[in-house]
Amino acid sequence: MANEPLIKCEHVTVSASGKKLVEDVSFELGAGKFVALIGPNGAGKTTLLRAILGLVPYDGKITINARIGYVPQRLQYDRTLPMTVLEFMALTLQKRPVAFGVPARVKRRVLELLDTVGASKLARANLGGLSGGELQRVMLASALQDSPQLLLLDEPAAGVDIEGEATFNELILKQVRERGATVVLVSHDLSVVSDITDRVICLNRVLKCEGDAHDLLTAETIAEVFGGGKAVYGHHHHHHHH
Amino acid sequence: MFDIITNYFTLDWQIPILLSVICVSLASGVLSPIVVSSRMAFFSDAVAHSTLAGVALGLLLAVDHPATLMIGFGVIVALLIATLRQFTTLSFDTLLGVAMAGSLAAGVLLYHHVKGYAGLHGYLFGQVSLLAWTDFYVMLFNASLAVLMVLLFGNRFLMLAVSRPLAQARGLSVARYEFLLIILLGLVVSLSVRAVGLLLVNALLIVPAAASRNVARSVRGMFWGSVIVALVSGLIGLFGADYLSLPPGPAIVVVAVVLFLGSQALRPVFGHQVAEA
Repeated sequence: MANEPLIKCEHVTVSASGKKLVEDVSFELGAGKFVALIGPNGAGKTTLLRAILGLVPYDGKITINARIGYVPQRLQYDRTLPMTVLEFMALTLQKRPVAFGVPARVKRRVLELLDTVGASKLARANLGGLSGGELQRVMLASALQDSPQLLLLDEPAAGVDIEGEATFNELILKQVRERGATVVLVSHDLSVVSDITDRVICLNRVLKCEGDAHDLLTAETIAEVFGGGKAVYGHHHHHHHH
Repeated sequence: MFDIITNYFTLDWQIPILLSVICVSLASGVLSPIVVSSRMAFFSDAVAHSTLAGVALGLLLAVDHPATLMIGFGVIVALLIATLRQFTTLSFDTLLGVAMAGSLAAGVLLYHHVKGYAGLHGYLFGQVSLLAWTDFYVMLFNASLAVLMVLLFGNRFLMLAVSRPLAQARGLSVARYEFLLIILLGLVVSLSVRAVGLLLVNALLIVPAAASRNVARSVRGMFWGSVIVALVSGLIGLFGADYLSLPPGPAIVVVAVVLFLGSQALRPVFGHQVAEA
């Protein structure tokens, strides 16, 4: 039982209007892993996450033995809506309408969650006034509210400056190390993920590769996943040209 | 100054009007933040217009309570919109445009057979000065429904308003709550049309939160600000109209819009900062 995977995908296929966005993908992940889900734009990474979250219909089987926390890809929302970060977090933490106030118990919990991501000073800030990096921290804090064992992050660094991105990745890494959570980080940028992740899943509609980060993040697999365009630096490929 | 108010209470028949207006203002005041944040302004307009067909049919058939038919029509159109929304790929405002045009045309066609467009004026502009105790009970029900909606589902409706995909990912049954919002709002709108009239229902559902959003920095501020704007507009509009012998319905909305303009002027001072997306 202890080695039961947190998540197991078996022959998962997601179709939309007759087109297969994700095809026959199988993999499983255990606890305490930092996994990068990589692939070019339009490879079906977000679609696969949405299937795991149960938001899109799929064929095949997905078994999940974990509470899931989810940080969406650069959230689009109405920035003119007057709502404090505290109120936003409280929306899913209390039954009482937030318009009637946030009880002390919920306030403490929100501050605790924000503190985990180093953003406790944002509690009184307005959701509409947050920078890209601040918003992603708040989203991460919000995703941590049910103490998830599995964290799904969809290109969390999009719209965040490089410095902010490094800090954000450190925060995620902390979740893996301190809480033993498994993190699946979606990215189309390999340089970001290569240093910090220990497993890689490469997706380009079908599963291209899956395994240890250091074994897999080589020129060949990158070329394989991202298409021929980047294969120029694979010098031992020269015998193909004749 | 105070004689404007005390004068009002010298006539017994004005008491149910006052209480009804308080109820309508309260209902719109608590729902307005949800309507505005969920971008449902056009929806309440579409439902309000669709009740016209119900009223016309009621007058044609000479039923005892045309209001029942009117509310029924409003709710049916709301149901229809909610159902179509699940199946269409059209945007919501396009769908509402179709629903509004269709139901309004049907209403006007039916009205063609009603002699001299009887009752149309009151329907369009409200018949606040004709409200009786029975109307007050309906409005009391309306206000209770609106308050209950906010108490039970306010947080979920707001989560939906912030981001549909995020709400979905947090396990919220998005389709179910969207459906629920449409039906409950449709009911409240249909019930309010009778008191304040078709053209003013929408104003009361939109202007209070539009005003409070300008100066609020939190959901709490937006909500209570909207309730205050709605109640103050209702009372000042009613007393002022009585004093100046004007129709109360439009007077209420004019007061609300003036409050909105005031909030717009105060926005630079009190409003929250909005970052570039």
